[in-house]
Amino acid sequence: MANMAVSRIKREFKEVLRSEEIAQCSIKLELVNDCFTELRGEIAGPPDTPYEFGTFLLEIHVPETYPFNPPKVKFLTKIWHPNISSVTGAICLDILKDNWAAAMTLRTVLLSLQALLASPEPDDPQDAVVASQYKENFEMFCRTAKHWTNSYAKGPHKFPDFDTKIQRLKDMGVSEFDARAALSRHNWDLNRATEQLFS
Amino acid sequence: MSSSTSNPLPDVEPQASTSESSEYKPQQSTQYSFKPSPENSKTSTKADFTDDEEKKDDSMYVCNICLDIAKDAVVSMCGHLYCWPCLNTWLETRPTRQLCPVCKAAISKEKVIPLYGRNSDKQQDPRSKVPPRPQGQRTEPDPNTGFQGFQSFNGADGGFHLSFGIGAFPFGFFASSFNFNDMRPSARAPQHQQGTPQFEEDQFLSKVFLWVALFFFSWLILAEA
Repeated sequence: MANMAVSRIKREFKEVLRSEEIAQCSIKLELVNDCFTELRGEIAGPPDTPYEFGTFLLEIHVPETYPFNPPKVKFLTKIWHPNISSVTGAICLDILKDNWAAAMTLRTVLLSLQALLASPEPDDPQDAVVASQYKENFEMFCRTAKHWTNSYAKGPHKFPDFDTKIQRLKDMGVSEFDARAALSRHNWDLNRATEQLFS
Repeated sequence: MSSSTSNPLPDVEPQASTSESSEYKPQQSTQYSFKPSPENSKTSTKADFTDDEEKKDDSMYVCNICLDIAKDAVVSMCGHLYCWPCLNTWLETRPTRQLCPVCKAAISKEKVIPLYGRNSDKQQDPRSKVPPRPQGQRTEPDPNTGFQGFQSFNGADGGFHLSFGIGAFPFGFFASSFNFNDMRPSARAPQHQQGTPQFEEDQFLSKVFLWVALFFFSWLILAEA
């Protein structure tokens, strides 16, 4: 069966290379090793979202039982999204779990993830803090997500007030990621973030 | 050149167009049965033609799971094509959620149609690990489309109902009006064949009852006399 996984990935790889999306630079797929089990995906942030103009890297592991079981996918690029863990990059998406179907391909997975960026599901969250911020303070969520896109995915939107707050925490010896995460979790309230970090 | 190759076609086409589609099918089946002998001489030009055609339409007959040309092809009721080994593995991977991998319609092993191409019998591969592809399902046309109540009197088990009818009229009426229960084995007979033990048992029982009834009748008449 492992043979079938490899031959299918080869076919899918050609499909992705021939697809329209690659021509539009919205998705990308690369091999990491020669045995077609580890791949690197890349998706562009969809337009009119906080992720616009960002590029997000994905780690794709193809199990031996593929395509009868879904590929294991997680974000390598840090992202602020209700259905993606801001710490580990783990993804909460039904088609990568119970709703996987053997006719789906890596191309449809990448496109589904792009669609997930465009329409989050805060009621079925992976990161509960992000989800509650999305529901309770949508504007703050958008600013935070844009800031993360800028910091990790080459997005264009800079927020100087956020950067100064992060710098303040860094000066206290906190790592940049921890500072950003703590501030994001507390709606960029410097005092509460400091409390959390040093308690 | 073109006239010589196109000649065979007009010979075939008028037959197909004048006769109904139902008559055209038997013609195809006879062609199929004679296939081995004319293969070497007559069909050589046709084979080239179909090869070209196949190359063009390759993508049409690709299994939705392995993305290769479907082998031991089956098609789901929702119309999606798979290799039988692929679909079988998929259905065994998720026994609780039997869904079509393409459209997520409910599917099952029983409701899958195998596709028999013209040369499919040649490529029979050993089906050692995978259970055999399900059989094609033929539904026999209804023998009598009219009033079904008469079947009880024409059938072999008519005597059975008669014997009950003597003692109490309403009971006999009741039994004959619930005849659909007895019709079931006869309707199932073409699929399961008549060799099933239950079918034979039923027939044997009805014969026994018939003879008991006849004996009872004659005894009544003799006793009266």
